[in-house]
Amino acid sequence: MAFDLNSLLAFIIFGVTIGVVYGIVALGISLIYSGLDIVHFAHGEMYMFGAFFGLVLAENVGLPYPVALVGAMIITAVVGMLVERVFYRRLTRAGGGYTVAGMGMIICGFGMSVAMVNVAYFIWGAEAEPFRANLDYIPRLQFPGDIEVPESYVLTAIISVILMFTLHYFLRYTKPGLAVRAVAHNKDIAYLMGINVPLMISLIFGVACALAAAAGVLIGPMQSVQVEMGYLMLMKAFAAAVVGGFGSLPGAIIGGIMVGVFENLGAAYISASHKDIYAFLLLILVLMIKPSGLFGVEAKVKA
Amino acid sequence: MKLKNKLLTGALIASVGFGAAITYADDIRVGITMRMVSENGQAYGQMMMDEIKGINEAGGINGHMIKATLMNDECKSDKGVANANKLVFQEKVHLLIGSSCSSVTLPIVDVTAKAGVPQLVPHSTNSKITQKGSEWVFRVPVSGRYYGGVNAKYVGENIGTKIAYICAADAASVGDCANMEKQMKARFGVEPAYRADVQEKEVDFRAHMQKIKSMNVDGILVAALAETMARALVQSYEAGIGEDVRRIGSSSASNAPVPKIAGDAVKGVFFAAAYAAADQRPIAKLFNEMVKQRYDIHAPDHDFSQAYDLVRIMEIALKNTALTGSLADDRTAIRDAIANVKGYEGLASGPISFCAAATPQCRDGNRTAVLIGYTKGGENFETEVLARVTMEEDFGLE
Repeated sequence: MAFDLNSLLAFIIFGVTIGVVYGIVALGISLIYSGLDIVHFAHGEMYMFGAFFGLVLAENVGLPYPVALVGAMIITAVVGMLVERVFYRRLTRAGGGYTVAGMGMIICGFGMSVAMVNVAYFIWGAEAEPFRANLDYIPRLQFPGDIEVPESYVLTAIISVILMFTLHYFLRYTKPGLAVRAVAHNKDIAYLMGINVPLMISLIFGVACALAAAAGVLIGPMQSVQVEMGYLMLMKAFAAAVVGGFGSLPGAIIGGIMVGVFENLGAAYISASHKDIYAFLLLILVLMIKPSGLFGVEAKVKA
Repeated sequence: MKLKNKLLTGALIASVGFGAAITYADDIRVGITMRMVSENGQAYGQMMMDEIKGINEAGGINGHMIKATLMNDECKSDKGVANANKLVFQEKVHLLIGSSCSSVTLPIVDVTAKAGVPQLVPHSTNSKITQKGSEWVFRVPVSGRYYGGVNAKYVGENIGTKIAYICAADAASVGDCANMEKQMKARFGVEPAYRADVQEKEVDFRAHMQKIKSMNVDGILVAALAETMARALVQSYEAGIGEDVRRIGSSSASNAPVPKIAGDAVKGVFFAAAYAAADQRPIAKLFNEMVKQRYDIHAPDHDFSQAYDLVRIMEIALKNTALTGSLADDRTAIRDAIANVKGYEGLASGPISFCAAATPQCRDGNRTAVLIGYTKGGENFETEVLARVTMEEDFGLE
């Protein structure tokens, strides 16, 4: 494709809008990793469940889109906490990371992913469902050079920024946020300091799943909602988390945006048919230059 | 003691053999493998089973009952081939029906050719299915080579020749794109203004749409399975491509998920298919009513009509088959009876005829495509018939 500045700007804008969604899911993955030392492989399914919850609340219950978004986040958070409490707790109690329990946790995550997909099939069926959100109150953004950013993309950017700042505020300036950070730093010392560690772990899971749900509800109006939507998003979010530095929350967002922009530019100027490769090319590039990711620490050794 | 054992063994073998002969004489075994992951897919399968049940309740075929086995291949070629092998070699079916998806039907053609089992194709459009030269395969739906010609003629004469192509990786869509491209070149001497090959279940078309927008094309062909097509249509409007750029669908635009998911974005989309729910013939109205009552489907697409026509064609062929009790001979006799079906008039927009030669001219029995346009999207979508075209039997083969 011939190069022109307007097109370049359009591709970057669209890349950023999808990138922030990758970033939100990556944020949840990083949050769980930093808190529990585990990689949650069923996070894509939490994203899918969140999208369906949002759809049900908006279409069947008739709630306005923003209310459905919040509702889906709450329900998915509760589901995530339940999953953590019922299925993961015994494994996380035994330790994460490179321990045998950590491996068990990874396998358990895979199993949970398959189980959740099948539950979703059972409830909602295999057909994609349209998510028709009424977004008339959101303006279409106009940029020079006939570039129009649709309402759903504008809303995605706004909500994503709000979520990031809310999470930042929660972790930095609230007591539960401080407790979460303490648990992430060292569970044993957190216990000794009187923090209810299991509760905080559940909270971490809940918040991470709520973020995934938000991403699912945001992407729904753009791509419709279907049972198999979680897998590709998980892959992209992993790429974003690794590019940004696994466990780094700002890194997850920056990584997400980089993945979104990189794949859009690759699709525009190299080949749109191989769009999904670019995220992983970026991942390899970053790992070759900085193996810990852009914002990760060189060798993460927990206290 | 030894003699007693021998007698018992002999009696057992005789009884098993006699039992098998009775079963064989009584039932005509039909295996069906289809994509049944969606509500519509399940309804197609159920409708076939219901129609076969109806034949049995009316006395069967010349006194024989049809024993049908329905299997789900989920539109996955490995599952389809496994189903076909099971039906052909374990269930020992006389006739195989399948599949809904071209990418599944293509490898199944090799299974039935090798085993010598007649195969009736219910929905798959990829033109290569009948070009493999198998003497056992018969296609009830319209071949993609005819659709390509109908689309190209209408587009070139009414819309323009600067067309962007978005082609999904499933076999039907690959074939639809290739046929349209070939016909546009043959008729109007033009190459695609833009062409993108995307994954079968692609979700993000924005980069393509941005590129297409900057090219000022006359139309966009979206050749993809239903859900993928719907997403592409929605995102084409999100990218700011106006209504003046016409959207052309591949034959799967006929499937109900397209208007349901795409909503208003489907309005103005046109496509070639084998049947239009907007068809005003009495037989079509009755069929629409039946599907609505039985399966609660608002407007049956051409996959419903083709499944129905297929059962009727099967019924005609089986009635004209003199079963002998030898599986191999009966399979051959059924194949020959299908090849003798001429001028079947059903829900299809034109007559369906087969003949004996293992060529596409003989085995692509349905040559009439109907050009359909969406006038309303959503659950209660509406369509209109734009044209009805019958093609020459060797069209698209040169």
